[in-house]
Amino acid sequence: MPSLLPLTWHLARRSGRRGLQSHLLAAGAAAVSALVLLALTAAWLGAGARADRTDWRTPHPDRHGTAIQALATTFVRGEAVTVVNLAHLPGHRATPAPPGVAGFPKPGQVYLSPALAELVHELPANQLADRFPKPSAYGTVGDAGLAAPDELLAVIGRAPADPAVSKAAGEATLDTGLTDRAVVSDFSGTTPNAFTAQDKDGMLLGVGLLVVPVIVLATAAGRLGAARREQRLAALRLAGATPRQILAMTGAEAAAVGAAGAATGALAYGALLPALARLPYGIGTWFAGDLWVGLPALLAVVAGVALLTALSAVSALREVVRSPLGVAQQSDPRRTRMIRLALFVGLVLYVVTTARGGGLRTPQIVALLILFYGAFWIVGPWAVDRLGRIMGRFARRPATLLAARRLSDDPRGAWRTVSGLVLAGFVAGFFSVAQLSFSGFTYPHQVAVPAPAGTHTSVTVRETADRARELLKEAGVPATVQVRTGDRADESPLLSNPGVTARISGGPAGLDTAVTVLAPLNPAAPAYTDKAFNAVDDLATGELRSLSLATMAVSFLVATASAGLSAAANVLDRRRVYGRLRLAGTPLRVLDRARVRETVVPLVLLAGTMTGCGVYGAMQLNKAGGTTINTAGALQLGVCVVLGAGAMFAAIGASRPLLRAVTVNPAQQPD
Amino acid sequence: MGTVLSGLGLVKKYASATALAGVDVEVGERESLAIMGPSGSGKSTLLHTLAGIIRPDEGQVLLRGERIDHWGENRLSALRRGRFGFVFQSGQLLPELPAEENIALPLMLEGVPRKQAVARARRWFGPLGLEGLEQRRPGQLSGGQAQRVAIARALVADPDVVFADEPTGALDQSTGEEVVRLLTFVTREQGACLVMVTHDADVAAHCDRILQVRDGRVQGHSQYTAAP
Repeated sequence: MPSLLPLTWHLARRSGRRGLQSHLLAAGAAAVSALVLLALTAAWLGAGARADRTDWRTPHPDRHGTAIQALATTFVRGEAVTVVNLAHLPGHRATPAPPGVAGFPKPGQVYLSPALAELVHELPANQLADRFPKPSAYGTVGDAGLAAPDELLAVIGRAPADPAVSKAAGEATLDTGLTDRAVVSDFSGTTPNAFTAQDKDGMLLGVGLLVVPVIVLATAAGRLGAARREQRLAALRLAGATPRQILAMTGAEAAAVGAAGAATGALAYGALLPALARLPYGIGTWFAGDLWVGLPALLAVVAGVALLTALSAVSALREVVRSPLGVAQQSDPRRTRMIRLALFVGLVLYVVTTARGGGLRTPQIVALLILFYGAFWIVGPWAVDRLGRIMGRFARRPATLLAARRLSDDPRGAWRTVSGLVLAGFVAGFFSVAQLSFSGFTYPHQVAVPAPAGTHTSVTVRETADRARELLKEAGVPATVQVRTGDRADESPLLSNPGVTARISGGPAGLDTAVTVLAPLNPAAPAYTDKAFNAVDDLATGELRSLSLATMAVSFLVATASAGLSAAANVLDRRRVYGRLRLAGTPLRVLDRARVRETVVPLVLLAGTMTGCGVYGAMQLNKAGGTTINTAGALQLGVCVVLGAGAMFAAIGASRPLLRAVTVNPAQQPD
Repeated sequence: MGTVLSGLGLVKKYASATALAGVDVEVGERESLAIMGPSGSGKSTLLHTLAGIIRPDEGQVLLRGERIDHWGENRLSALRRGRFGFVFQSGQLLPELPAEENIALPLMLEGVPRKQAVARARRWFGPLGLEGLEQRRPGQLSGGQAQRVAIARALVADPDVVFADEPTGALDQSTGEEVVRLLTFVTREQGACLVMVTHDADVAAHCDRILQVRDGRVQGHSQYTAAP
């Protein structure tokens, strides 16, 4: 078998300018596939890595612990600031330093993340800095303790009797995961911070939605130049080459092209890593190190893309292997069988039945999504074949007839051209109604101060209100302060707890000032706004929005690249027939219209169906999750449909100059 | 016999070679002309120039007395589609179309409704010995059958001139013989004239006249009184 390699290399080199074009296009497709796959892997692994780096902040109780750890969350300018209060218990052995902090903080010591330190210096003290103790100098929380470079985090040393580490501090009536308290002996927690806990699952969903379009692109790379290769290898087969030799030569050639492309994609990924790290997601941007997938994963992706390209090329040659004359003369129409429809129905029924059961975890949802994609992948060529036959029966114009016959002649090839955008249509449909709206508590312009534990009498609460008025007046914040008894849970952010609320005028600065100056009224449960209830959900909604936009953008780009490459490959593969037809006077516009119709007709039908399936699937998911649907998604869907259609026309249009070039004057020869 | 197509003082130069160096040629009504010459002699360039595929650098091409060499590409395309027919060595048939639709294609391109176009195409199957092959795709036909389909396609729109470029080049000798006999006969029957490039003297012998081309110049004529 190794003796075939020189011959393969020789034939590849001798494949001429068009052969080189095919190789370059295939390598380009493999490069984009590898780049996107690496970026997806990086995002998924990175989301996990940065969530893992927040584990230490959630206290891990230890009865024989040496320190008290109290987690709190405050908000400035609407952004969450995670506060880790630490107090060493006297008479106990030393507690190790938290990650990213030089040493266990002594009472009064404050360590800030670089982004928070910047804000502390930027904003007036009564809007932020006064919420923390005033040390002579702030320490810095290093990268090891942070989830993101722009995360806002403070680590504060307290005395054991400080109310900020008291039991009441851990029981503040805020959203789950924003406050916690325990006696600890180290920082070996395993529960990620509430703001990062869902990141990995969200990314997995994005990966699940994107991986198939990327595979479609890599597969398209393998099939580029298939007709040229088929003709060449069919001739070799006629000359006596065995099927095994043919497959080995094809696999070697495609794998080499795929590997070169994938390696280029891997280099591009490396070069783009700093730029990728600057893309915000969830709590912020990324440490570039978190997005580095590691050498083994990088090599696996490169090998995977090369293998996919080779397998795709080899599978395209089954006809040559079976019957060399068949391909040499292009005699066999590539028919599809009804079994595809039966498999599709079976798979879709399974997916719908399983999804209806509800209670699915993200990996299960992703598995079902891939299964669903697979179902469409199986039925796609069958649908294209039937569509071609129906079109052929009713076609009146030559362009429509040509398109119809082409569809039923090679339904798999036609499906490959449109499949990326059809699957992208599913993504668009899915996310158009997956824009969740959490109906959380909203109390705009209000700051709440819970009554300190044990002082829930009407007298003490009134005194707290008087003190609040004084503090707000001193700070120059116009406000209306009210005493709340907690009888009406829906009227203030205090819910059913007694305390004081202040309705603030003055925008975000006024709110931040109020939260800061009112904090001392209850050091165990400092003043807060409705952000304390909605921040996690708001972040999740924002993440889903970012994820949907990114997923749609990438899937449409990848799908457009697939469609463009396939269209260009089709022109190159059919250049001889096109050239002859042009010589005989067939107008270029007829050939072009036929090309457009053979893509647009199946696209409209199949992408329309798939988009509808996406909408239905997302609605079922929303129903299962008990969330409401944001109707703004319809607008997004409309935009996607227009962009998708534009992308397809652009992709086909991009190969129009190539069509013109290969048909302009095939007779330009001196003889 | 009136002149249907003529080329006067045709000159065509490529970057490093002169393909035609002042060629004069005429083809009359129902006449068949074979252009022969060694490889690189300029015979294909002459055929393409007469067919309006290549524009000459100097000289004129006249169809029934009307000069066509300076026409725009769209007009020339329409001319090639409507008044010329083409038979190439191979590869001119669309692989995904059945034979009858391949033949009907030029008519459909001219705006003839599909049913009528296919009906007219079917008339060619009997005379060309293609009965029963209407639904076969080019890949399911033998080389000779495919060339007969190509002949039918070249003639279906009642052209004035049929251009054939090595029409037997991909066929064995007996099949080639049969195909060229059919081509010359049917073309004449249809009232069209034939311009054929070939390097095969036996094939050329089926034509009324043979034009010998060498180094872009006409070297001589041979005249036959009748096709064998």
